Amino acid sequence: MQRHDVVVVGAGLAGQRAALAAVEAGCDVAIVSKLHPLRSHSGAAQGGINAAVGKEDSVDTHIYDTVKGSDYLGDQDAIEFFCREAGPTVVEMEHFGTIFSRADDGSLARRPFGGAGFPRTIYAADRTGLALLQALYERLGTESFTLYEEWDLTNILVHDGRAQGIVAFDRRHGDFAAIAAKSVVVATGPAGRIYGRTTNAHSCTGDGIAAAYDAGAPLKDMEFVQFHPTALLESSILITEGARGEGGILKNASGEAFMVRYAPHVKDLASRDVVSRAIWTEVKEGRGFPGRYVHLELMHLGRERIESRLQEICDFCRTFAGIDPVTQPIPVMPAQHYMMGGISTNIHGETPIPGLFAAGEAACVSIHGANRLGGNSLLETLVFGKEAGLAAARHVAKAPTPVLADADLERETAQIRAMSDRKDGEEPQRLRTEMQSTMDQLVGIYRLPEELAEALRRIRALKERYRAVRIVDQSKVYNLNLTDALETGHMLELAETIIVGAIARTESRGAHTRVDFPKRDDARWMKHTLATQGPDGPVLSYAPVAYTRWEPKERVY
Amino acid sequence: MAEEGLVHVPIDLYRFDPATDKAPRYQRFELDLAPHTPVLTALLKIREMDPSVTLRYSCRSAICGSCAMIVNSKSRLACQTPVGPELEAHGRIVIDPMRNLPVIRDLVVEMTGFWGHYKKLQPHLIPDPHHPLPEGRESPMSPAQVEMFKETPRCIACGSCYSACPAVEADPEFPGPMALAKLYRFVVDPRDGARRDRLLRIQPGGLWLCLRCHLCTESCPKDVEPSQRIRDLKEMAIQLQGATENGSRHAVGFKENIRERGTLNELKLVRQTYMPLDMLARIPQGLRMARRKPEFIRTPPKIAGLDEVEKLYQILDDAPREGT
Repeated sequence: MQRHDVVVVGAGLAGQRAALAAVEAGCDVAIVSKLHPLRSHSGAAQGGINAAVGKEDSVDTHIYDTVKGSDYLGDQDAIEFFCREAGPTVVEMEHFGTIFSRADDGSLARRPFGGAGFPRTIYAADRTGLALLQALYERLGTESFTLYEEWDLTNILVHDGRAQGIVAFDRRHGDFAAIAAKSVVVATGPAGRIYGRTTNAHSCTGDGIAAAYDAGAPLKDMEFVQFHPTALLESSILITEGARGEGGILKNASGEAFMVRYAPHVKDLASRDVVSRAIWTEVKEGRGFPGRYVHLELMHLGRERIESRLQEICDFCRTFAGIDPVTQPIPVMPAQHYMMGGISTNIHGETPIPGLFAAGEAACVSIHGANRLGGNSLLETLVFGKEAGLAAARHVAKAPTPVLADADLERETAQIRAMSDRKDGEEPQRLRTEMQSTMDQLVGIYRLPEELAEALRRIRALKERYRAVRIVDQSKVYNLNLTDALETGHMLELAETIIVGAIARTESRGAHTRVDFPKRDDARWMKHTLATQGPDGPVLSYAPVAYTRWEPKERVY
Repeated sequence: MAEEGLVHVPIDLYRFDPATDKAPRYQRFELDLAPHTPVLTALLKIREMDPSVTLRYSCRSAICGSCAMIVNSKSRLACQTPVGPELEAHGRIVIDPMRNLPVIRDLVVEMTGFWGHYKKLQPHLIPDPHHPLPEGRESPMSPAQVEMFKETPRCIACGSCYSACPAVEADPEFPGPMALAKLYRFVVDPRDGARRDRLLRIQPGGLWLCLRCHLCTESCPKDVEPSQRIRDLKEMAIQLQGATENGSRHAVGFKENIRERGTLNELKLVRQTYMPLDMLARIPQGLRMARRKPEFIRTPPKIAGLDEVEKLYQILDDAPREGT
């Protein structure tokens, strides 16, 4: 059995930043990841990272914008901490070697982003995530740690009320292994692939969130799912908010720049939930193009600006949609993009289970509340990745030596053997496809009680069928079919928490829009949802939202 | 017949599982697809038919670098390569794992060698101890300095260039195009204090093994142009150190050699390229060449119009150099 002080699961920005903090604190650190660190989905983040460093801007404005963007569900103490850390975090990443875009005076260039009072989004062309991921990986590479590359997480081990390690599957060699650790940090990113129409990578299957849930950790605010307004029509590939930040305009089939009717002040740069609902409404009321989409126009920005600031977007459009954004409008529709919810933590990444920590999109602190602002998620991975790493290191100093039982591993291998030995059963990919179409059709931007109830019925039926899931591939070497099965199981658990949370929340707030309860209801619902795994599905409880200075107001953009 | 708007796509897929197969084989799959369908989407459809088909993939938008493979003999990202043009050019789609890297299973290759070269180059910022980065604020960098990186920040480390590189195939010690493009990225970084060390360290056995075939640049899905950056590194190395390696001596010698007579004086080029001890080791090779190709040891006459050649050299000497 392998032993480390700290095991970080996931090697994107949050995981790597946690690992760096723990290594610097003197811990023996291992990273377990199903992807090579540079393949992580953090690298797909395009638009930028927020920090109020401009002279006309202020940390307080960043805090206010984030509180308002969250539709008053974000914890204000956490948001204050988060926004104060923004400047130092960006500077640190610059010193690690990040190649940011620059203004003429040599300072960090900034662009306007949705829901922000000032141009506050620092960027590296339209590949900010990649730039940060490269720099952090290169910085982390100067330290000593163990990397378990292309290992799938299957379980977080909790004994005597404490996290004591994990079980993971080594794809390359086809073996399960238990890894003992005093601290386990979950940074496995989101579960966007619960949906079919998602901007997320295929790897975003919420493995760590599901494992934490299974280990008894509560999940917070899972019903809040962000739909990004602008995804390419067929592939759902993300077109960054930076495209509108640079001046891009949404238009309906009659050529009208319709956002003025939904957000008279900031128009196309309203918060993402607002813009996504607007596009949905345009299409639903017949003002979209045939094939149900709208246009994002960049042509008026000119070739030079488009090709320099939105270089990857140009490539995406030309390669994946066969259109040139310099001369043609981009056909877009909203697609699932981000999960505000996740493993419930405090600002130090601590979960209620001692020794279990979480950071990044897998976690919910909560700073995004009911709706995340663009540019805040890259910042979150770094600020709270570091906090979780530091907290994990502090825990190492006081935790007893972990004790793992042989049974931990045997249970896991027996379960997989049963899946492989089945002569007939359910194909994991078929279950996944049915789950995705269920979520696309019934748990989208606008939510109806009867549709949510139907979605829950279908997901529960899929969970039942999953008990007979079958792994066809019998090879020990890089068995992706086994990964398919594990991931599908994880996502079905999480889909259920999203739906159950959405059924219970009889109000509309941020990204959660109930057609039958169109108004925000602060008296009853200004509280976080907590979902804990019970024998018959998620058990809900609620927790108060932390307040400091900002009274809830109606959100107008 | 394929449905309207769809084309019939025969795919011959490389299959190999070391646990059960003695040798690799091709398996034929037939799909009806829209011509703009990416090869990756086709492969995921194949996985629905046969879940044992094994490949790496993640983002499907050409940013994670997972799905590099050989499509009809060329290194490509599967997610970025539509089936239509491949079908038109070749009548079918043959898919193989990347070259120059051992196969683990099907299209999944062992990339340890690739990453090893990258790590050996100290791919991290090494600030100059005499000029520390400004405390509490960003290092200043002008947009022009950002331009100096060229397209190297776009590299997604997919390995396409490494797979396409004949120098890697000939000598696994050659770091490969990606690692050298990454080296360039640090050499031109105004924040980096190790520029000199980096250039000195890469020369023996590294930089000068590049054959200038540009297959890396042709195969790069992100237009990083590794071969051009390797050329820049060569120029910078010569400017820094003069011609001290066989490779750089050959480059500089070649230029001076032609200038003298307007044509290549081969025997002299040997002297210009190799240090005396290296020359001794090459005597047998030289004798063999002299026997087969006697003109090799004769000094060629100066060509007519040598002054025109000299004019060309003057223009080149006066021209500003890119990337230095």
